[in-house]
Amino acid sequence: MRIELNDKILLDVKKPAKYTGNEWNMVRKNPEDVAVRFAFCFPDDYEIGMSHLGMKILYHILNKRDDTYCERAFAPWIDMEDKLRENNIPLYTLETYTPLCEFDIVGFTLQYEMSYSNILNMLDLGKIPVLAKERKEGMPFVIAGGPCTVNPEPLADFFDFFVIGEGEEITNEIIDAYKEWKKAGEKREKFLERVALIEGVYVPSFYDVEYNDDGTIKSITPNRENVPGKIKRRIINNLDTVDFPDEIIVPFVGTVHDRIMLELFRGCIRGCRFCQAGFIYRPVRERSYDNLLDLAKSAVEKTGYEEISLVSLSTSDYSQLPELCNALIEYTEGQKVSLALPSLRLDNFSLGLMDKVSKVRKSGLTFAPEAGTQRLRDVINKGITEEDLLNSVRMAVEGGWNNVKLYFMMGLPTETMEDIDGIADLGIKLIHACRDLPHGKTLNITLSTSCFVPKPFTPFQWEPMDEIDNLMQKQYHLKDRIKKGSRRITYNYHEAKLSMLEAVFARGDRRTGKVLYTAWKKGCKFDGWDEYFEFDKWMEAFEECGIDPKFYANRKRAFTEILPWDHINIGVSKRFLKNECEKAYMGETTENCTANCSFCGVQGYKAGICTRTKRSV
Amino acid sequence: MAKTLRFRFSRGQELKYLSHLEILRVFERALRRSGLPVEYSQGFNPRMKIVFGLPISTGLTSDAEYADIVLEKDIDLSTFVETLNESMPLGLKIHEAVELKNKNNIMNEIKGARYNITMRASLTYGEMEDMVSSFLSKEELTVMKKTKKGMSPVNIRPMIYSMNVIRKDTGRDVNSSGHEDGNIIELDALLSAGAQDNLRADLLMEAFMEYTGLKADILSINRSALYTIRSNEWKTPFEVANG
Repeated sequence: MRIELNDKILLDVKKPAKYTGNEWNMVRKNPEDVAVRFAFCFPDDYEIGMSHLGMKILYHILNKRDDTYCERAFAPWIDMEDKLRENNIPLYTLETYTPLCEFDIVGFTLQYEMSYSNILNMLDLGKIPVLAKERKEGMPFVIAGGPCTVNPEPLADFFDFFVIGEGEEITNEIIDAYKEWKKAGEKREKFLERVALIEGVYVPSFYDVEYNDDGTIKSITPNRENVPGKIKRRIINNLDTVDFPDEIIVPFVGTVHDRIMLELFRGCIRGCRFCQAGFIYRPVRERSYDNLLDLAKSAVEKTGYEEISLVSLSTSDYSQLPELCNALIEYTEGQKVSLALPSLRLDNFSLGLMDKVSKVRKSGLTFAPEAGTQRLRDVINKGITEEDLLNSVRMAVEGGWNNVKLYFMMGLPTETMEDIDGIADLGIKLIHACRDLPHGKTLNITLSTSCFVPKPFTPFQWEPMDEIDNLMQKQYHLKDRIKKGSRRITYNYHEAKLSMLEAVFARGDRRTGKVLYTAWKKGCKFDGWDEYFEFDKWMEAFEECGIDPKFYANRKRAFTEILPWDHINIGVSKRFLKNECEKAYMGETTENCTANCSFCGVQGYKAGICTRTKRSV
Repeated sequence: MAKTLRFRFSRGQELKYLSHLEILRVFERALRRSGLPVEYSQGFNPRMKIVFGLPISTGLTSDAEYADIVLEKDIDLSTFVETLNESMPLGLKIHEAVELKNKNNIMNEIKGARYNITMRASLTYGEMEDMVSSFLSKEELTVMKKTKKGMSPVNIRPMIYSMNVIRKDTGRDVNSSGHEDGNIIELDALLSAGAQDNLRADLLMEAFMEYTGLKADILSINRSALYTIRSNEWKTPFEVANG
């Protein structure tokens, strides 16, 4: 069925081109010519979803197959959802205007916890039963991948299965399994049994969870034979062997990252103890210089984009950065394409680089010291000293920048009011330290604080999140201290309530799925958007379900406790994380992966940096 | 040698929901993909030298949009059209290009636009024709129009050059009035366009319905031509490219 839309709907919503497809490089196929129809769903607005690199990669990988057609769907904005519901139009894909319920596989990417309510809403809009157990023969399989699958438990009721880790290879294995299953003419459950054998696939209905009287988990066990006790995260050992898209879809509507994204490497050598990305993407694996340069050129030719951005968790850590940048600068200048270099550490090299890059607006520079005192920065293993920061900011001001942003977290483990004061004091120190420089008196500093949310597979996965009231008090205190300290400092902070909810779903178990379902029924969606976040409805949902959010967010968990994600194996060992947590309490830092191997466990993959760094103890 | 071309393009159903700004970006990216030697402005932030005749509002299809573009070197006209078309998304198509031999900027040239408005209404051709002539007989037609200073009353009558019902079958009228679903009726309207006194077709229809009490569903609006004026006569932008 092809959905028909008309002016009455589309001329009455904001940015209607988000809902009509036909972008340059959109893949066109005849759905009747393929064996598998796959709907790739991003549970947020088009402008966010179309900025996501993972979707571009998998869209490309799936559509390279002649037997498969991968199409796209996004969460319609509130105005469009109203129109769809009013006119009883199901949520459809942009390629062929086909309702989601008509696909073979509907795949979601889980990028952040606060998009979970949108997943339920999109399934409902797409006329697919929201609960996996209510899906019958002939209905789509609903699956998920992405970083949040490292703890899939809060979503266990809604997905048929999860794909843990990087998708380039495993996606093909799933499609192959689907074709074989279809050919065999088997029942729905047989497909789940087939995919459960693929390394990296987690079928939640094949596992039972038992609880202790105190609410903690007693056991997580497979309920049938041939199902792995632990699900191992998949990674791509050598990035140069898998396809990276150059025929990227070029959206008509301006998106958040409306440019070519060139992925330098996956993983991060740093090991900051609060950072989930620093652990769940290990080990560091680089794409080669030659490959990147070729990709950049062909992507410019095939998209016509006016900007290329280097993408990674820490650009400065790319081993051939100077060579790559020089080659890219030479190429982009000739093409009148601009080059963006985010996540750079500020030093002489990067300042020189930024001067060479043609289109730099010298308006703002961002640093992330994350904590206000050296003690706390050691606790979180953020290898940055006050002196580093003073030097960097002075260099920046000398280089012509006069707006500097600093990011911090509140509520980190072991934090005291001294650390909070330290945030303000650091800002004030920087203002004073630059006074003697030409233009130094025009320096403006913005201090931003977010609330620390403990995440699975980090050394702080056992830690309690700070209470909302405490966080708010700290925010007011800091605001006050900054106001008294300097007029050149602006202070921003994140909503603590939203962070608390994020904390529940980041480390929740299967029982929290009921809360999600109830909150969605009450109308919660787009929770990550301030204007739609309804904290009170969420609290009602917790109460109705008899679930205490503090049990998940604010409780200190014992090292011995079975964690909801203990049956997922991301490669980093629990022993290493526990050791890192203990070192944190003692204020001991850990070296980065290039300096020394700390035996985190991912050596087992025998990939990337693990094959190069020498191990000394 | 730099060379300026003037080209005509159309916008179909596929891309009718794009805003004018989005269309501009489509052209910039398509031109970059095409590899055509477009000239850039000098300075810190070089821009392609391309100018569009008249903004095309969201929801409108068009047979006749015009733009002027400066190329670094001489390119065969048909090669230009073919090459650019290979890089254009479905729904935007270049039809023809001519060399611009004067310095008259296309944006300042456009003075009139012809629209084809399709609607569903419970009327016969004859009844609609009566409505149109009664509407046009008014000396003043005041509507609220968005201006630089916000919403203000504007007399749009001088901006309407002509308005006609298009009779599809010669001699016979469409079904009688009062038909349940209504009849499909098309209007042709020539309106003032350009930097000054621009009248959008959707605003015309709003005024038309308000003044006549007509109840109609506007199904689509298509721009069928753009004109400039030379010695009191309508000319297409191509007709004035030479001198």
